[in-house]
Formats: sequence, C-alpha cells, structure tokens
Amino acid sequence: MKKSHIVLLVLVAASICIIVSMFGDFSTYETFASASKEPNKQFHVIGVLAKGKNMEYDPVKDPNHFTFYVEDKSGKVNKVIFNGAKPTDIEKSEQIVMMGSMDGEAFRCSKIQMKCPSKYKNDQVVIGNAS
Amino acid sequence: MPATIHYSLLIINYTDLDTQFIGEHLVPGQLGHFFVITAFVGALFSAFSYFRAAQTEQDLNRSNGWLLMGRNGFVIHSAATFGTFAALFYIIQNHLFEYHYAWRHSDLSLSPKYLLSCFWEGQEGSFLLWSIWHCVLGLIVMVNSKVMESRVMAIIALVQVGLATMLLGFHFGPDIKIGSTPFALLRDQMQGAPIFAQPNYLEFVKDGNGLNVLLQNYWMVIHPPVLFLGFASTLIPFAYTIAALWKGEYQSWLKPTINWSLFAGGIFGLGIMMGGAWAYESLTFGGYWAWDPVENASLVPWLTLVAGLHTLVVFKATGRSLVITVILLTITYLLVWYSTFLTRTGVLGDTSVHAFTGEGKSLYWHLLVVIGILLLLTISAMAARWKALPRVKTEENINTREFWMFIGSFVLLLSAVQIIISTSIPVWAPLAKTITGKDIAPPVDPVAHYNSIQVWVAIIVGLMTAMVLFLKFKKSDNKVVLTRLGITGAISLVLTLAIGIGQKIDAPQYAILLFASIYTIVGMIYYCIRVQKGNIRKMGPATSHLGFGLSLLGILLSSYNKQVISYNTLGVVFPFGKKTQAEDAKESRENVLMYRNVPVAVGDYFATYQGDSTSAGDPRTFYKVHYERIDSATGKVKEAFTLYPDAFINPKGQQGLMANPSSKHYIDKDIFTYVTSVIDPTKKTDTTKYKQHTVKAGDTIYLNTGYIIFKGFETEFKNPNYKPENGDIAVTAKLSVYNLNGMVKDMSPVYYIRNGYIEGIEDTLKDMQLYTRLSKIIPDQGAAELQIKQADPKDDYIVMKALLFPYINVLWLGIIVMVLGFFLTAWNRYTKKEKLLVQQDKPLK
Repeated sequence: MKKSHIVLLVLVAASICIIVSMFGDFSTYETFASASKEPNKQFHVIGVLAKGKNMEYDPVKDPNHFTFYVEDKSGKVNKVIFNGAKPTDIEKSEQIVMMGSMDGEAFRCSKIQMKCPSKYKNDQVVIGNAS
Repeated sequence: MPATIHYSLLIINYTDLDTQFIGEHLVPGQLGHFFVITAFVGALFSAFSYFRAAQTEQDLNRSNGWLLMGRNGFVIHSAATFGTFAALFYIIQNHLFEYHYAWRHSDLSLSPKYLLSCFWEGQEGSFLLWSIWHCVLGLIVMVNSKVMESRVMAIIALVQVGLATMLLGFHFGPDIKIGSTPFALLRDQMQGAPIFAQPNYLEFVKDGNGLNVLLQNYWMVIHPPVLFLGFASTLIPFAYTIAALWKGEYQSWLKPTINWSLFAGGIFGLGIMMGGAWAYESLTFGGYWAWDPVENASLVPWLTLVAGLHTLVVFKATGRSLVITVILLTITYLLVWYSTFLTRTGVLGDTSVHAFTGEGKSLYWHLLVVIGILLLLTISAMAARWKALPRVKTEENINTREFWMFIGSFVLLLSAVQIIISTSIPVWAPLAKTITGKDIAPPVDPVAHYNSIQVWVAIIVGLMTAMVLFLKFKKSDNKVVLTRLGITGAISLVLTLAIGIGQKIDAPQYAILLFASIYTIVGMIYYCIRVQKGNIRKMGPATSHLGFGLSLLGILLSSYNKQVISYNTLGVVFPFGKKTQAEDAKESRENVLMYRNVPVAVGDYFATYQGDSTSAGDPRTFYKVHYERIDSATGKVKEAFTLYPDAFINPKGQQGLMANPSSKHYIDKDIFTYVTSVIDPTKKTDTTKYKQHTVKAGDTIYLNTGYIIFKGFETEFKNPNYKPENGDIAVTAKLSVYNLNGMVKDMSPVYYIRNGYIEGIEDTLKDMQLYTRLSKIIPDQGAAELQIKQADPKDDYIVMKALLFPYINVLWLGIIVMVLGFFLTAWNRYTKKEKLLVQQDKPLK
C-alpha cells in the first residue's frame, strides 16, 4: 500500500466522522407543539401569519422587539417574538419560516424567512439577526 | 371528415384574426425567436459535424470536410446567439412592454447602466449570458487548438445544444414545455386576463414591473458577467478532458488544459468574490460571505477546479495523479450545472412545503436531463479508458511536492463534499424523511456550522500552502527544505504571537489558522525573494498562494473581531419595558434608535441622525448620519465624517424599506452603517404647536434640545425674507440659540407695521427644527411676545445598525493578489515554449 493511500484512508475516515457528526447540527422542521417538547433546542417552524391578530413593533420603545402571531401547519396559533426590527413586507408574506425555540408560551426566533408573492418569483427574503 | 378538419382550422384562423392588437412591435421578437432556433440548429449541426470529423480522422480529406462544416456551424450558432442577445437588448432598451421579459424585469425609470442587469434577473437572460460566454470561449478554442479541435469542439457544441434548448420555449401538449423563450408576449404569458381582450391593451400597460432594487447597484452590473464567464470557462477544461479520454491521448491535452484551468480559476474566483463585495456593499446581513446556498453552489466547483489544477500540475511533472485529475476537472463542470439546478429551480426554496410552479417543474426536469447526459458522457468516457489510463506503479517519496499536492487537493475535494452535502439538504431531505421519519432542515446557524468544519480545512490547506512549494518534484534536499521552513516558521511564529495577542485571538483553532495564514504569507514572500530571486516570470504560483494566505488572514481578522457597535444600551437609554436583566442579555440588541439631532454613542463615536433627503431621478431616500470621535480628555472633536445610508421606501409592489448600507473606509477598518427601520414618511405629522413667551432682554427660553436667549430689539435686519418698504415701522428680535454643545446661531424674526397692518416674518433654524415669531412688542415693559415652536424630535427618527469590520482590506488585497497570481501563471505558461513530453518513471503508451 502506498503511503499516499494510507493518508487518504485516514482523511476519508476523518471526514466520514465529521460528516456523521455534522448531522447533529442539522435542524428539523417542527410545529409549535412538537417544538415545545424540547424548549432548549432550536427548530424550524413553518406557518402563515395569523389573520386578525395584532402585530406589535414600536421602535421608540424597543427597536429590537417585534411580536406577531403565526398559525403553524397543524393549525395552532402561537405568539412569536423576534429579536430584531420588523421585517419588511411581513404582512404580505405567503409563508413564514422561523428559526428559534419555544420560550414558555411564545416562540422566540432569531431568524425569519419569508416567502412573498412578489414579482421575483423564487425570491425569499431572509432576515437574520446575528446573535 | 376532411370537411370538419377544415372547419376547425377556419375557426382558429377566425379567432386569431378577430383581435388585431394595436401598437405591438412583433418584429424584434420574431427575429429573436428565429435567432434562438438558428442557434439551436447551428449547435446541433456543429456538434454532429465535429463528431464525424473526429470519427473520420484517419481519412484526412473526409475529416477536413466535416471539420469545415463543424466550424461553420459553430460560427452560425455563435452569430445567432449574439443576435438573440441583441434582439432582447433592443426590446428592453426600447421598453417594449408587450414582451413579458421587458415588462417583468424593467421599467421606464430604469437607469441605462442597469439595462444589462435585466439579463441576469431573469432565467432566460441568464442562460443567454452563459451561452454567449461559451460561444466566445468556443471561438477562441476553435482558432487556437491545433490537435484536439474536432473532439473538444464536439463537446462544446454539444453543451451548446443543451443550453440552446433552454431558450426554445416549445410546447408539447398542455403539460410539456421545453425551455422558456425570452420573447414571449405579455398577452401570451397571461392568457385569460381580461385586459388582453382589448385590442388596444398596450395603452394600459404603461410601465413595466421594474428591476429588483437589489440589482440596482454597480457591483451587480459587473459581478454577474464575470461570474458567468467563470462558470463558462470551466467548460474548456471539461471539454479537453473528455476529448483526451475519447482519444486516449494525454500529451497534447496538458498545456491547453492547464492554461484554461488557470484562467478559469482566476476569473471564477474573482467572480465569486465580486459577489462577496456586492453583498458587503449593498446587502445588510453585514458581511461578504454568509454560507448562503447560492454562494456555496459557486464555491464548490471552484474548490474542485483548484484541486484539479494542482493534480494536473503533478501529472505534468511526474506522470502521477491522472485519474484524480480527470475526475476533478469533469466533476467541476458537472457541479457548475448542479449549482444552476440548485439555484434556478427553486428546489432550495423550502423542502417540506415546496410546490413547483409550472415553470419550475419543466426547468427542474430539463436541467436534470442535461446533467444526466453530461454525467453519462463523463462516466462512459472514463469507464472506456479506466484500465488504459497511464498510472505510475512506484511509490512517491514523502518529501516531494507531488505527494503533498495530491493530499492537499484531496482535502479540497473533501471540503467541497462537506459543503455540498450541507447545502443540498433540501434535495436529499425528502429521501431522509422516508428512511428516518425526520424532517431535516438546514442548520439554524449556517455560519457557525460551516465555519466550525471549514476552519480545519483552511488550517490544513494553509499549512500545506506555506510549506509544499519549498519541496521539489520527485526528490527534495531535506536539509535545505527544513532550513527554509525553519526560518519562515520562526518569523511567522513571532508575527503570530504579536498579532494574536494584539487582536485577542484566543480560540485555539483560530490561533492556529492565524499561524497558518501568516506562515503562508511569510513563506511565499521568502520563496519569491530567496528561491526565485525576484524573477517575475516564475513568481505566478507563489503570488497566487500569497494572495490565498492574505485572504485567509483577512477573513480571520475581519470576522473574528467584527463588532456590532450600535448597541442601544449605550448613550440615550430607552425604556425597555419589564424585561429582566437575563432577558436583556439573551436578546441581541443591535439596532439603535436615533432621534433627529440627538447624538448617540456608537462604539468610539457619537453618531447623530441629521435628517433625510431625496433627489430627483433617484428613487432612494438618503439618511444623513454624522459621526464624531471626541477626545475624552480635551473634549475636542478628533475626527468627523458623515455617512449616507439609503433605502428604497415602499419600492414598487412592496411595503416598507429596502436598505443599502453606507461605509466609512479606513485602511485598517470599515465602519458599516445601515438603516433597519424608519418612521413612515406618510405618517410624519407636525403635531407641535407654537408656545407664547413674554420675555425681556437677557431672558432665557428653554427648548427640548437647548435654549434661546433674547438679546433685545434691533432695527438692523438680517432676516433675508424681510424686504423693507418706505413707511414701514419694523423691528427685529435678536435671539441667540444654544444647543447642548454651545451656541449655534442667531435668529431674528421680524415684526412690522405696513399700511396700518401688523405683519410678521418667521425665522427658522432647520438643524434644530426651530420656528420663531415675534408677535407683539410691549414698549412700556421693554418686552417682546415670542411664539416659539420646536418640532418634537421624537417625530423624526431612524433605527440603525452599525458594524465595525477590522482589516477587511487585507481580504480584498488577498483576493486581488490571488487572481493576479492565477493570470500571471497562465500568461507565463502560455508564452513559454516548452516540450510537452511528460517526464515519468515509465514511458506512456
């Protein structure tokens, strides 16, 4: 066996370990109910903006606090707190993907992804809030 | 039966004739469509002729005939592709909104410099641009390649057939659609909309939908063409490699493939990082790289290309590593198509709920078919030659360049594998769901995910880059190598300690990365001076590796100490409600609220929002933010500058704002500022009222942001709005206005009696939104009655975010040096006369 092959084998073995371990990084899509089972873990929740519920954003009070209500895929409506400025166009969004965890009754998210029925068909607006 | 058929045809004709649309310009579209079809047929003809030329090459006469036809076919194909481009450009430039493409991607207000940007906003335009670059490069190859022309061009023309089908827009039945033409009419795309029942519908289509505001940026004029040239240029090494396998000949393959790979590596890398520069300059995620799927999809083929380039050099020098070279160079091009698949079909959109639109679905299958054909071609060419591929049986020494270059290339490949697996989660998640039942989503924090793995790749590759060039092919003098590596290592260690402590880089892996990048920089400079004696013709590889080292250092320094400086807990304190301290800490508070003219501490600076402005012909609103750095000891302003972050307020079809940052660039850092929220200009109301003050000379009136001292009356008129006339009885109040820092300005409202009527002239101080009137004079008391209004600063504010990027220029410098290194190497190899024979342990067949 060539020395280079031994090094390759070691590298491949190491990268398989890394790739397997990286599956732990991957998040999963959940509902509010299933996310609340593990309140300390970050999940993706998909839903639509709940109609007729109030959105609150008052930058004078706190520019990093935006609350709204989302109906998830199981139909449950839940309060969502986003630690950042109110995303542009959220009223028009067809669908919202939120990344975060359940904190008591509310879902606290650090990132919002929206799908808008805009002329830019495949465009998604990603609102990040690096923390 | 024949009669019925006749009858139905008549009906079709009749309905067609029924509506004569007024004002349409159909000629450019028909011409464009003709060019599209000509391009497709030309490519098909060229591919077939070149293929026959390769097959008949034993019979020189016949082969030359086919070759000539292949060339003509490709020239016709190229001319038609340019024609398609010209027709579409004409349509966009003349705002022919009867065409769907022009309507959807442009509007009348679009500035001429962004006309070309309309090409890359749409799918059809992007494919067209890609195809055009293939044509340009194909023509160069056609003229330049002497030995392998028929085979290389057959592959290039075949790929062009595939690209041309993307623009055909043929419908087969209601469900199957091949390609999408950029010349579709608006009324055809939106059949059934009642407006199109009117022959004069164009009178109502006055303006287009407009170009995405994100693309209205100078980087977006230059970045897409360069990136597409990068994508396109990977075709040439691919075509040469398939051609070499096809012919079973790897000598004449070497030189053009190395040169084209160098060119591709340089231009592709430049294109990717221009995207980073665009993101940095105009997007608001605060950085140049976010491990976004679109970015990853172009980085991965670049990594495999660079890996393939290195193993190719190994093969040229030693005859080893041919198999991996072939794999890397072919997979690079397949990955370019895969990246198109990822970014264009919407497959990344959203795994669990994604539903394809009609367009997406046809493109999805179309791209899969093209990728399938290319993959099949690659695999069959490789399989046919697998056993015959020249390999070197003996073992290489560890102290050789080829050994470590091979390992390094393999690490790059593994890095690419990791990135593509994570990026492709939405592609394989449905499969994983059927197996494990889990609905896998991308990592919540992708930056941390990729960084934590790729930092080790960067360390390994960095360390190798620093050392391997000092080794020689086949056999190195250990003593010389170790001495040189020891010298550069010692220098680097000292520098690493100094910079590491100075910059407080304390995480171990990043400290190692710091050493690796500095080791590379020091090593390459040493190598250029000591080993290559400053000979510029030889310095290409060391230059590009120096650039790589600088880029790593720049990435590390700018990201590791990137700071958000707009924490709103500094400066003016706002009530946060009832949150506990722990909750405050949990939340990231990176947006700061700035009332007009109220300074806020932002990092080392005091920043003041000083109002907004717009200008005619520019849809953006600019926000003036003044920064001052004040010496804490003396209280003097050490430095001041003004930034104008801007935003599109309520851009077409949207609500809210789309912000563009503005940065103050220093040699060693950037202050990066953008607006995250503004008060809705339509809701801005003037609610404050005038207040009446009766004052005597020397009295003070307090304001929200300062005070006024009434100095007394004057008859000398400084107020330019007052034009004295004969018979006027006039007087002015002399007011000195002070803000929190000291005196600002004198104001002088005027009171006068003309023709028996009492009149007054207001004086205003815009900076402080201050309005003063002199409404009455009380002579017996020597007093004045003043009406004073100051707009509440709470009525005008912005919410802003500010970041500090240290040493970002090291990264840009590194990229430029790296790209120059690529081109320098390519140029030197291109102009060098060298014999093509591979030096090797045993002769090739």
